[in-house]
Amino acid sequence: MGDGLLVLKIFLVVAAIAIAAMLFVALYGAKKPLPQSVVNDAGYRIRKLWLGLVLVVAAIAFALTVPFFPYPWARASVGARHVRVTAAQYAFVMPSVLPVDVPLVFDVTSQDVNHGFGIYAPDGTLFAQVQAMPDYINHLPIEFHVKGHYVVRCLEFCGIGHAYMHGGFDVR
Amino acid sequence: MKIMWTYIVAGLTIFGLMLLVGIGLRASQAGWIPIDTGTFYSLLSLHGVGMITAMAIAGLGLLWYLVDREIHLDERVAMLAFAFFAIGVVVVIVSVVFGHYGALWTMLYPLPFVGTTWPSWATGAWLLGVAAVMLGFMLICAQILGAILRSSGGLGSALGLDYVFGRKAFEAAGKHPPSPQMLAATVVSIDGLIGGASGLLVGIAMIAHWLDPHVVIDPLWAKNLTYQFGHTFANLTMYMAVAGIYVALPICTKRAYHSSIPLVVAWWGTLVFVIIAYFHHLYMDFVQWPAVQYIGEISSYLAAVPVVVVTVFGGLMLIHRSGMKWTLGSMFFFAGMVGWIVGGSAAILDATIPFNVDLHNTLWVPAHFHTYLLEGVFLFILGWVFVSLEQRAEAASNALVRWIVGLGIFGGGALFLISFYVAGAAGVPRRYAVEPAPGPFWAGIATVGALLILVGVLAALVEGIRLARMRAVGSAV
Repeated sequence: MGDGLLVLKIFLVVAAIAIAAMLFVALYGAKKPLPQSVVNDAGYRIRKLWLGLVLVVAAIAFALTVPFFPYPWARASVGARHVRVTAAQYAFVMPSVLPVDVPLVFDVTSQDVNHGFGIYAPDGTLFAQVQAMPDYINHLPIEFHVKGHYVVRCLEFCGIGHAYMHGGFDVR
Repeated sequence: MKIMWTYIVAGLTIFGLMLLVGIGLRASQAGWIPIDTGTFYSLLSLHGVGMITAMAIAGLGLLWYLVDREIHLDERVAMLAFAFFAIGVVVVIVSVVFGHYGALWTMLYPLPFVGTTWPSWATGAWLLGVAAVMLGFMLICAQILGAILRSSGGLGSALGLDYVFGRKAFEAAGKHPPSPQMLAATVVSIDGLIGGASGLLVGIAMIAHWLDPHVVIDPLWAKNLTYQFGHTFANLTMYMAVAGIYVALPICTKRAYHSSIPLVVAWWGTLVFVIIAYFHHLYMDFVQWPAVQYIGEISSYLAAVPVVVVTVFGGLMLIHRSGMKWTLGSMFFFAGMVGWIVGGSAAILDATIPFNVDLHNTLWVPAHFHTYLLEGVFLFILGWVFVSLEQRAEAASNALVRWIVGLGIFGGGALFLISFYVAGAAGVPRRYAVEPAPGPFWAGIATVGALLILVGVLAALVEGIRLARMRAVGSAV
């Protein structure tokens, strides 16, 4: 939550490494061609290691991320205070003040079309979100540890007023 | 060749028009030109569905030609499918231009029917237009799959099962595994039929609701089918174009690309993961069945394995120390692989659930799929066009042209895309006619990048026409 810039940094590093590696493979020794069989012999050996590395990284990434899943079944929310949020074109109906350091569960639904309930922290970063769907209630467990004004923006296209659909609440 | 060029020219023409629309949209978000909110969403609807359709039409033309080289395909079926595409495109344009439809391609139920500012007929026309495009797509998929199954003797052989599970006997019998491009065609046509069926199913349900509002649809069911169809269709445009790598790169490098057991198994993975990876579009729908959220992350990771371990790795092995000449054709194919990997990396980060909380429906989403489509699929299509033209004329473009095209499409593309990524990481929502800060600043940078892309595309167009007008002295690809 609020990790957008961290993701950007990871992406830029991965992209830079990938581009550099691909350019290196394409350009290294370009003026000294080798028979395809020679390249293949080395390439197939590297590919086995590469396959192993990719699978291991994928498995580790999955294992590391599971504890951070935002879902109510993945987070302790017993005894939490429930906060009802109803979205409708083009506003959110919800309390204007919420408590700090208290476990909360937002019960989010919609009166009309699909909306997105996106909570932006006082520093402007996207803090949490869940879809607001008609006929369904999505439960979003959260505990605020920072006081201040949180802005809510719609994060699912909902019609002509989508860009103007926002609200907010104070955490005290 | 006639079918291939008809499809590719039509696809690239739509691409060019949608590029202009896209530049206008970003310039509007930057505050540089005035576009009212209703028109903005009408144009965004047109841009989104138009670009995917453009890439699909061009990619299908390429794929159809590659299959036709090995198994004769009836041109009349391809032209019938083209008629569906043409009707669909015209009806969608009518819906947008005259009806001012503006619920975007996702048209998540019940959006196109609630709180609309356009007449009901425009929603119906949009649904029917998209359905016509889907029917054309499924017709081509059915034709290709039918031809492959008939010629190979069944699905098992078409997918290389007998080759993988009994290689010695298979080779002793003098048989050959399916070529890489035929594997791509088999997977695209199977997944295309599945994705198309999902789209038609939800489309028919929505048309029923349009005709009789008493017909109600479960919003979660509709969302699942909409994204299964949308994700699969968009994803498959890449795999259509990828078939060109297997044929064109060997020409550029004067090397061979043969089917192997890893390649065959990789395509099995693609067959499965392309269908189920769409679950990552519903990570923020917490009422979704929990198991599929886990499947969404795992399948999104695994979908990348065939790409990075087999196809792109194999493509780089072909290029490495081959003495390949850097023509526009080979340059586009190499850059397309880079774009595929970079866009795929961004997609994997977004498909990681804890990160998705920060990125879902922000500008990161268009960032990754614009990388994938503009610097991946589009470049593979251009690569195929230029390798074909260079082969035919036995000529290549001079260094100045390559630099202009490269700086425009790659340099401008980098500027255009980084603006999406940075704004997305800052939490700027996607699909906002008027964006909160820092959106407008980055929209301005994006507009400059997109204009540079336009310069590169125009230079490529002029160069392509020059090569096409040269006397044919070489052979067809």
